[in-house]
Amino acid sequence: MPVPLRVPTPRLSDVNATQTTSPRPAITDAAARTVDACKVYGAGDTLVNALDHVTVEFERGKFTAIMGPSGSGKSTLMHCVAGLDTLTSGQIFIGDVDLSSLNERQLTRLRRDTIGFVFQSFNLVPTLTAAENITLPMDLAGTAPDSAWVDTIVSTVNLGDRLKHRPSELSGGQQQRVAVARALASKPSIVFADEPTGNLDSRSGGEILKFMRTAVDEFAQSIVMVTHDPVAASYADRVVFLADGRVVDEILDPTAEAVLERQLRFGV
Amino acid sequence: MLKVTLRGLLAHKVRLIATGVAVILGVAFMAGTQVLTSSISSSFDKIFSDVYSSIDVVVRSSNEVETPFGSQRDRISDSAVPAVQAVSGVDAAEGEVFGQIRVLGRDNKPLVAAQGPPNFLLNWLTSPSLNGWNLTDGAAPNGPDEVVLDAKSARDGEFAVGDTISILAAQGVQQFRIVGVAKFGKLDTWGGAQAALFDTKTAQQLVGQPGTFDWISVSGDPGVSQTALTERVAAVIPPGTEAITGAEFTAENQDAFQKIIGIFNTFLLVFALIALFVGSFIIYNTFSIIVAQRTKELALLRALGASRRQVLTSVLLEAFAVGFVASIVGVGFGVLLAMGLNALMQSFGFSGPDTPIIIPASAVISSVLVGTMITLASAILPARRAASIAPIAAMRDVAVESTKTSKRRIVIGALLLVGGAIGLWFGLYGNSDSALQLVGFGAFLVFMGFTVIGPVIAAPMARVLGWPMARFGGVSSRIARENAMRNPKRTATTASALMIGVGLVGFISVTAQSLKVSLVEAINTSVTAQYVVTTDSFGATALPLSLAGQITALPEVKVAAAVGAGFANIDGKAKVVLGTDPAALQQVVTITDVSGSFADLSDSGVAIPKTLAADKHLSVGDTLAVSFLQGGPSELTIESVYDTRFPIQGPGYFINAQLFAQVTPPDQQTAQSIYVGLNDSSDAGIAEARGPLDQLIATVPGAKLQSVKEFTKAQTDQANQFLVIVYVLLALALIIAIIGVINTLLLSVYERTRELGLLRAVGMSRRQVRSSIRAESVIISLIGTIIGLGIGLVFGWALVQALYDEGITSFAVPWAQLVTIVIIAALAGVGAALYPARRAARLDVLRAISSE
Ligand SMILES: Nc1ncnc2c1ncn2[C@@H]1O[C@H](COP(=O)(O)OP(=O)(O)OP(=O)(O)O)[C@@H](O)[C@H]1O
Ligand SMILES: [Mg+2]
Repeated sequence: MPVPLRVPTPRLSDVNATQTTSPRPAITDAAARTVDACKVYGAGDTLVNALDHVTVEFERGKFTAIMGPSGSGKSTLMHCVAGLDTLTSGQIFIGDVDLSSLNERQLTRLRRDTIGFVFQSFNLVPTLTAAENITLPMDLAGTAPDSAWVDTIVSTVNLGDRLKHRPSELSGGQQQRVAVARALASKPSIVFADEPTGNLDSRSGGEILKFMRTAVDEFAQSIVMVTHDPVAASYADRVVFLADGRVVDEILDPTAEAVLERQLRFGV
Repeated sequence: MLKVTLRGLLAHKVRLIATGVAVILGVAFMAGTQVLTSSISSSFDKIFSDVYSSIDVVVRSSNEVETPFGSQRDRISDSAVPAVQAVSGVDAAEGEVFGQIRVLGRDNKPLVAAQGPPNFLLNWLTSPSLNGWNLTDGAAPNGPDEVVLDAKSARDGEFAVGDTISILAAQGVQQFRIVGVAKFGKLDTWGGAQAALFDTKTAQQLVGQPGTFDWISVSGDPGVSQTALTERVAAVIPPGTEAITGAEFTAENQDAFQKIIGIFNTFLLVFALIALFVGSFIIYNTFSIIVAQRTKELALLRALGASRRQVLTSVLLEAFAVGFVASIVGVGFGVLLAMGLNALMQSFGFSGPDTPIIIPASAVISSVLVGTMITLASAILPARRAASIAPIAAMRDVAVESTKTSKRRIVIGALLLVGGAIGLWFGLYGNSDSALQLVGFGAFLVFMGFTVIGPVIAAPMARVLGWPMARFGGVSSRIARENAMRNPKRTATTASALMIGVGLVGFISVTAQSLKVSLVEAINTSVTAQYVVTTDSFGATALPLSLAGQITALPEVKVAAAVGAGFANIDGKAKVVLGTDPAALQQVVTITDVSGSFADLSDSGVAIPKTLAADKHLSVGDTLAVSFLQGGPSELTIESVYDTRFPIQGPGYFINAQLFAQVTPPDQQTAQSIYVGLNDSSDAGIAEARGPLDQLIATVPGAKLQSVKEFTKAQTDQANQFLVIVYVLLALALIIAIIGVINTLLLSVYERTRELGLLRAVGMSRRQVRSSIRAESVIISLIGTIIGLGIGLVFGWALVQALYDEGITSFAVPWAQLVTIVIIAALAGVGAALYPARRAARLDVLRAISSE
């Protein structure tokens, strides 16, 4: 994916100009949202503001992409919203639930029951078959999976004949499809995907993205995806841009060209 | 490359801890055993040379029977003394009397416990050059009722000069007046043993052989060499006696003791080696896992130009360093262990006074050598695997351990098993002199065979054992089962370590159970007596054979029979010979006549069991060449071939009481038990007889009256006590095996960081993580335990079959015990998982999913 090496114009003014400053209403229909989220790593000379007063909303039933240069805080934001990491200050809501009010056990349960995950790689438990991986969160919860729903997903991701295979017997693209299927299988209220197509060729990546799009369109699934790829971002309903731990811009109904143009303009 | 090794060591130091601990424990046991036994034996060497330091020549009987407990000799007549005294160069010559007694305390109980140090009878020597005792109070004994006690006995019994005490000797209990208290040199005891000293005549009376000495001690004039004096003395002594130098005499005594200590040493070393053998599995596993985890790094080294040899050497150097350092630390702990045990033993009075700990160089060298070599040997296969990593592996994803079940593995494993079975077969059923070594080697091969085949059977076993958990325990148990199956080699090696310990425990408990059941059965089916009189004393102070007559004289008693045991050379070999009143014995013990008549055994006859008759093709009328300690006939006619299930000591040669009295020294005419048959064998009769019997027996210190049931129980209790010792010694091997389980789990958790992070991210709770690791641990433990118990059962069965003729006639499986072992193993699995599970549950999810 082409990323310009040189930064053309000064961008701070632009950044400030486009930053969302208007306060948002407290109760929205967001699947997840952050309020003044700050995440600080280290101290003194090595202090990094990975998230710097981020207030952002991820709408229900929508496909949101997060973009930004390396080190801009995308993964940090996702990890915090997904309850894998905690904020230094600020708040995060999944639905109406304030994550800071939850303890370790409740966070685990939240991840298990209401959040789906897709990582860039190593998404599957190597000792379990594809089918077992897909139903893993429900099995962990001890609840019976909705088999009709699982069948729907499995047929959508086109994995029918591969379900009994172990991850080591699947291609990278197939593994990611299993991962997406797992993320959706428990009908989570939101799915987070951190560069889910980062390790795939464009064809396999396209299949994954199409599948996620389908999930949003047909099943009203909420999805948040981190990506570096404008083409991937073009599958989303909205792209949020991060830079230096801040939300600097967003594009609604993006096209690959618009995203690329935006990147070229800001060098991000 | 050395730098790489050192870096490797530092980087893996945590992963090498378990290896180190395994080596340290095994080496500590080994070194500790050697240090302890050599300290004890050197302190006894010193005791013997102190005790006999003043003796230049010893004159003694040349009539000798080699027993397993050292050689026994006849006493000699005192008539030889004047001639020896007259030899030129002899300063003093005096006969010594040596026997066993038990000094009774004020409570009329023996002052020294049955398991304590020996309590000897000595005669007071009158020549200062031979007498090592110094009176601290009172005077020398002189007269039939006078005794001198060693300082410790006097102190322990709170006796003083003028007190009257009772002493149990071969002739029963007698009263004596304490006329003196003495120290031996500067010591309170006679080199650890407690002693009572009498004048010569009284001492002779007490051992029951007036006019005889155990030996004659001679001290020479200054300037006369021991050998020269010995030659001169040898010229004047009567036939049937011999003269040896004091140095030889001391050395003989030292050697006899060394032999006993040597057996003890070997016994303990076997367990140390078992522990090290078990430890080698941990070492092997650790290095295998480290090599697997370092595949990329090693491949990179190879890609950068390191040769195979360099990689091999690097891994072996790492193993050498760990093994060497751990062995040295192990020796250190071993010395501490020996010191601790020594102090413990001294507080129980088992060893001589202040045994100084000596650390023989041989113990240090052999322990360090064995520890280092075992570590190196265990690392060879992993090192070779490391060396065979192709440089291209650096570019690939980390290879998973190969899990294919190779044919070669099965073939090699099967060959080992067959070899082991052959070794066991010949060891158990053959007539080899090195039967024990053959059995040990066979067992080793069987264990190795299972270890080699292990990876093939580990996965199916994990599947089966994990099934109930996976079925009912949810996904975390299913993951646990899969994890136990994913590295069959690792699982198998870990389980193998446990298999060995459990296998030995199982083997011993099956054998012991069979032995106990056989013993109980034998007693139940053969003893028709109602009571058994037993004693905790041995030898001279055990039950006098004459007690049987006294018991028979009671109106309630129909018959009482005692069996005395002595040694004789039969057909040139030392054998246990039993003396009894055959007719009486046959009334309290079922002994059936196969041919001839057991009850009518004459003074010149011997009865042999039917198995022996069959083995040696002997029958009634044949003769056996014999030689007893005290003369007697040189030939005995077989007058009876009998059959009995009664547990008999030794091969079962019976002679009648008259002959036994004639050929055995009076202080050996004792029995460990007397069987009593009553006139009225109804319950009421039995209850009624107890009083009078108890009253009679109260006169014999140490004697105890037991019903046949109590007697049976006491016999099996004794076996149980020995079992406990063996289990304690095996515990170390089990502990090392458990450390191995912990080690494997920790290394696996480390390796599966990503995976655990993923599981936590998608909602596995800490509790589920912990229970998953626990279940994996339990599965691994159960695999080892079940294979181990299987092997133990088969070993036990084989041994019991082989020992059928020795009286182990029933094969009995202690099911309750075996089930307990399985439960304990499962619990140990849970215990072993505690720390690894906590580590796994504590993993930082974010760190785990972002770690490479
Ligand atoms: N554990 C940590 N300790 C210290 N600093 C961290 C840590 N994790 C992230 N950071 C810093 O926080 C900032 C944001 O990191 P983050 O991983 O969120 O970036 P990203 O946008 O996901 O980048 P990329 O596109 O490369 O994945 C970076 O400057 C990074 O160096
Ligand atoms: Mg990132």
